[in-house]
Amino acid sequence: MLPGRSAGEAEPGRAPAGGPNLEPFEVFRQEREGEPMRHGGSVVAPDPTLALHYARELYSRRGESLRLWVVRRADIVELDDQDLLNPPLDRSYKKPGGYVMRDKLAEARARTGQVKRSASSGRSAKPAATADGGDPA
Amino acid sequence: MTDPLALDPVLPERERSKLPFNQDRPHDERYQAFEAHVLAGGKIEAGDWMPDEYRTSVLRFVEMHANSELMGVLPERDWIMRAPTLRRKLALTAKIQDEVGHAQLLYRVAEDLGKPREAMLDDLLAGRTKFHNVFHYPTRTWADIGVIAWLVDAAAIVAQQALRDSSYAPYARTMKKICWEESVHIMHGRDVVVTLAGGTASQRAMVQEALDRWWPPLMQMHGPRSDRATDRDLHWRIKAKTSEELRQEFLGIYVPRVRELGLSLPDPELRLDPETREWRYSEPDWAELRSVVTGHGPASEARIGFRIAQREETRWVRETVLGPAVAA
Amino acid sequence: MTTRASRAGGTGAGLPPGLEPATAELLLALADDDFVLGFADSEWTGIAPHLEEDVAMSSLAQDELGHASAYYALLASLTDGDPDRIAYDRPAEAFRHARLVDHGRGDWARTMTRRWLYDTANAVRLEALAGSTWRPLGELVVKVRREEAYHLLHGAAWLERLARIEGEPRRRVIEALELVGPDAPSVLAPLPIEALLLDTGIQPVPGAELLERWAARITPVLEGLDLALPEPHPAALDPARARSGHGPAFSALWTEFESVRGLDREATW
Repeated sequence: MLPGRSAGEAEPGRAPAGGPNLEPFEVFRQEREGEPMRHGGSVVAPDPTLALHYARELYSRRGESLRLWVVRRADIVELDDQDLLNPPLDRSYKKPGGYVMRDKLAEARARTGQVKRSASSGRSAKPAATADGGDPA
Repeated sequence: MTDPLALDPVLPERERSKLPFNQDRPHDERYQAFEAHVLAGGKIEAGDWMPDEYRTSVLRFVEMHANSELMGVLPERDWIMRAPTLRRKLALTAKIQDEVGHAQLLYRVAEDLGKPREAMLDDLLAGRTKFHNVFHYPTRTWADIGVIAWLVDAAAIVAQQALRDSSYAPYARTMKKICWEESVHIMHGRDVVVTLAGGTASQRAMVQEALDRWWPPLMQMHGPRSDRATDRDLHWRIKAKTSEELRQEFLGIYVPRVRELGLSLPDPELRLDPETREWRYSEPDWAELRSVVTGHGPASEARIGFRIAQREETRWVRETVLGPAVAA
Repeated sequence: MTTRASRAGGTGAGLPPGLEPATAELLLALADDDFVLGFADSEWTGIAPHLEEDVAMSSLAQDELGHASAYYALLASLTDGDPDRIAYDRPAEAFRHARLVDHGRGDWARTMTRRWLYDTANAVRLEALAGSTWRPLGELVVKVRREEAYHLLHGAAWLERLARIEGEPRRRVIEALELVGPDAPSVLAPLPIEALLLDTGIQPVPGAELLERWAARITPVLEGLDLALPEPHPAALDPARARSGHGPAFSALWTEFESVRGLDREATW
């Protein structure tokens, strides 16, 4: 569900047909070269041209953005259903943390006569809690 | 910052927040999950389910904050045209522009909670919602501009910093941006005050007079002491600190900074208690705070009247070129 | 850049001998135009029709004031003066801003119409001055033009919207054009000392030519909106009158912006 879904309910049918309407536009900004576009906030404007002007003012008047994306909020499709995004059963095999080899490697090194000298050697006795495939997170 | 709930103790019964606080609520599963999530430090987004009291509380809090940014423009605005150097003129215009920008950011947060911007302006101008006490006072000299930008903004930023971890995520994000921008205002204000304090005898007198006038409203600004245990906004982590915690923090940082300039503060009781490490001060005039925030301050009527007139003046632009608001 | 130059006091060195006064006249015209317009437009801060637009309008005003500051600093480098003294410590009649910016800000339609007229004229003027033989000016103008690009976009967006919506917006734009339009050419009218500046290439293009370029650029836009610029006011094209004889709106503005500094002009503010 998108934020603001209830904002229009307060004044139904006020918009004259064909005339301009103020509507929300979401602003995404890139702060430094190479960084991802991040959501900055929103402006309300009657059209994309003015929305772009307002985005520049609200999100880069101190020169804090290298690039802006301005998107009509109505054009965004959102998914926040956790059953779809984070299904409950085990997916640890898809993550690096799902592979715990510490004990197996120690065994292999002992077998081949190579002893890894490191501070972690003292911790190798600890049981590998997630070795059974449980999500380490 | 005077948040709506912090004002309750000074308000007459009929003006107090009438919102229920975990009373007679059907504590259904959804409600309990929400409570658990928020109390464990979780965040709420605009589209998430939330109890009506939470929505109303956040909306009231953010709306008053937005109103204050918008009304806070007016005391300083008169001085845009009078700023005495090119750089001061630029800095002051940019500072006031930021306040307008903050009003925009905060009204956007509030709009997404379900109340249209125009409805919020209607309520503000009809006296149904409030704004900070300090913006009900007139500005008299250029030194007021320094004192407001330094100390009023400092008192506000102490509160806003504590809101960066608000459970209502859109508000918390907005606070981060606002705090970053306001740190510049404090520099600008302090620079004006330091310049006047180090200037001619009449400049020093001007800044001392302004400080004497603004100190009582500044001491009232965070509101009277209140009980942590019964504060609904603290419970839900909409805010993080009590009025007194904010005031102590403000005094701790800024009293020494004022005094090092050779300026005095008009409160003979004001001192740091060496044992408790708490600031002692004369009891602020809470009757004055009540009278001022309910619209009876020395400049309340003029400010509201000016806003109403300006809004009428530009109504045609909103009605024809910008158009009515529609939700997405 | 200009502040460093002004501190060194060496910027004027590149000028042919005896040209400082004429160059100073040119800089004063550029600076005062931006200063007065920036002052008038900054009055919208906090009361514009829409919060988003308020922030935009304030940026435009700040840009103008920033440009004025840079021109005053360059001017100060010629006269060994102080930019704030030049900007603030002059009687109202010593200001050299054009008649177009002498009008009060008026309503939103007048502000936007005036901005558009000014920004388009200023663009033509700066385009030419970027080629000035006096390098400090040419270099500054190149930077100013980069900031002015946004002004042109913003002004055009508003003029178009106001003029295309029948009823109040269009009526107000027409009224504004009738009031300030006759004074619009004053921005580009030749300066009294223009001949000297043209000889040396400090000003590469004569005012008459700038006026033609400007007309060629704005006429199609106005025609597209079914609007026309009224006949120029005779004073707006007269070098002796285009930038003098200021009216009551400027007196009020001047009184206001002098009020704090005038308490003690020797003090540091």
